[in-house]
Amino acid sequence: MIEAFGIGKTFRSNGSEIHALRDVSLSVRDGEFVSIAGRSGSGKTTLLNVLSTLMRPDSGTIRYDGRDAASMDARELDALRKNEIAMVFQFHYLLPYLTAIENVALPFMDSMIPVSRDRTDHAMRCLSRVGLKGKEHRLPGQLSGGEQQRVAIARALVTSAKILFADEPTGSLDKGTGREIMELIRGFTDDGLSVVMVTHDREYASVADRVVSMEDGRIVV
Amino acid sequence: MNILTIPFRNIRRKPAKTLLLLLVFTLGVVSIVSLVSFSRVARHSLEQKLWAFGPNILVFPKIEQIRLSYGGMNAGNVTTDVRFLDERAVLAGIDAIPNRGNVRAVSPKLVTVAAMTVPGKASASGADSNVGVVGVLWDREKLIKNYWMPQGRYPETEEELLAGHAVAARLGLKPGDRVGLFGREMLVSGVLEPTGSDDDGVVFGNLALVQENAGRRGKLNFLEVAAICAGCPIGDIVDQMRAAVPDAEITAMMNVVEQRMYSLDFVSNLILAVSLIILFIACAMVGLSMMSQVNDRKREIGLLRSMGFSKGRVFQIVCFEGFLLGVAAGGIGYTIGFVASEKILGALRMLEDASLTFEPAHLAIACGVFGLVSTASSLLPAWKASRIEPSEALVSI
Ligand SMILES: Nc1ncnc2c1ncn2[C@@H]1O[C@H](COP(=O)(O)OP(=O)(O)OP(=O)(O)O)[C@@H](O)[C@H]1O
Ligand SMILES: [Mg+2]
Repeated sequence: MIEAFGIGKTFRSNGSEIHALRDVSLSVRDGEFVSIAGRSGSGKTTLLNVLSTLMRPDSGTIRYDGRDAASMDARELDALRKNEIAMVFQFHYLLPYLTAIENVALPFMDSMIPVSRDRTDHAMRCLSRVGLKGKEHRLPGQLSGGEQQRVAIARALVTSAKILFADEPTGSLDKGTGREIMELIRGFTDDGLSVVMVTHDREYASVADRVVSMEDGRIVV
Repeated sequence: MNILTIPFRNIRRKPAKTLLLLLVFTLGVVSIVSLVSFSRVARHSLEQKLWAFGPNILVFPKIEQIRLSYGGMNAGNVTTDVRFLDERAVLAGIDAIPNRGNVRAVSPKLVTVAAMTVPGKASASGADSNVGVVGVLWDREKLIKNYWMPQGRYPETEEELLAGHAVAARLGLKPGDRVGLFGREMLVSGVLEPTGSDDDGVVFGNLALVQENAGRRGKLNFLEVAAICAGCPIGDIVDQMRAAVPDAEITAMMNVVEQRMYSLDFVSNLILAVSLIILFIACAMVGLSMMSQVNDRKREIGLLRSMGFSKGRVFQIVCFEGFLLGVAAGGIGYTIGFVASEKILGALRMLEDASLTFEPAHLAIACGVFGLVSTASSLLPAWKASRIEPSEALVSI
């Protein structure tokens, strides 16, 4: 459960102020699929960044299962990102020098302790689940755009996060591939995963339980 | 798979870039290793050559002297008593000093005056000639006076003598001549070329024989010592000898000594300075390259941060990459540097009296040291990497 109240975010560039978010409130229940729509520059990415802790808002509060993000120190924030939050970006950010399976297991590689057999197996299952069985040892450069995005989704799932933030995950894919990715994500909400997804596409947005529209930094519906 | 997989794979990703960086760093290590081994060998052969200047420490018995100086007139030193050193005690004392390893040779001496009969000459002048006879231990004396060049050869038995140039000229001695000394017949086995020192005016013979005939068995007038030490001040050696042989007067010929030290120190300081400059340049290269890497990889780092990697982890990843480079450069550099300096020194014919040995321990030290140096050069880029804000890195495409 994530709750945001009265979020404001202002960017200052070249002396002018851009109010990217103005008094935005939004809550997402466990297992709920929320889609954010809106024109370019309306503040969708900014909202997603704030909700996913990548950006600190200028005002307002965000609570993750009741815990206030503003009061968390760096270590708690890292733990939150590691254990509860997953992210998928428009351009599938994979490490180009790691294989598909290594990219999926990347969240587990944050210490000197080798990734356990169990976790490697789990990463394998996540890859199979997104339909990449047999391509585990390929480098990102040897995969198509859609396949790379699947790897990114598998990586987002591997930590058993509670909420997935996806910023135009289908933006760089063709219609058919985009639809497959959409169905994949939809399937995960059945396991209790919450999803907040930004998309321009009405068809994709309709897959969500709820569509939120943004305009000029505000939620309008 | 663990955190080190990331830097390992990244190094492999850009083999050309990594190789280039490795090459520069390796070149630095190569030149340092060659310079250091070159300096070790050069220092060694320089030391060898410096011996040619003879003794630099003198050991005398303490003599009660009264300096007579009255009304501006210096009457010189009046020796009230001639004293002798005990051969066994002095040699044992000097052998026991901590810096014995830096004492190359200790040559004990007893000086006496004796009448020498030169056959053939005797009838002409009709009298024996008095000569100064210095008793020495030949194996030790030869080490100290390694600039001596006798005609003929060095004495081998106690019946043989070596004559200084001046005394040989005065008495008309040639190698192979037989003379009478100490009431027995002796062979002049060699005559010294002029040395320009007191050595020209005396005859050298076996120490025990001279002691016997001078009635001073086991006694010495003085000792000449040749000591050199690249790292330690000669003053220490003198102090140690003073403590070991309290009844002796130890004098160092400081000028000679300091001159020698100076030339050694100059060479090593020069090499140290050059090595440091090379190392500094190599470090700057590593630092700059890591910095540009960090800038190129902002998005990757942002991604890691968004997955919950802490700032510390990002810092470690960059540092470890630097460490890997340093260890590789250290290992390759040491090996190449070793081979190169062996070739160069061999070509310069400097390996004749010194040798280089490949030591695994030194290889390990080189890897460790350059690993650390390279890690240190990566600290700033690593710190910069850890400051990267995930939102900015991921959003600004
Ligand atoms: N880092 C930044 N510095 C300054 N202004 C910014 C920054 N990030 C976003 N903005 C501005 O904030 C506003 C909202 O940007 P945002 O990226 O949230 O829009 P968006 O709805 O995601 O647009 P798009 O659909 O094109 O991705 C825009 O006017 C943008 O120019
Ligand atoms: Mg956007």
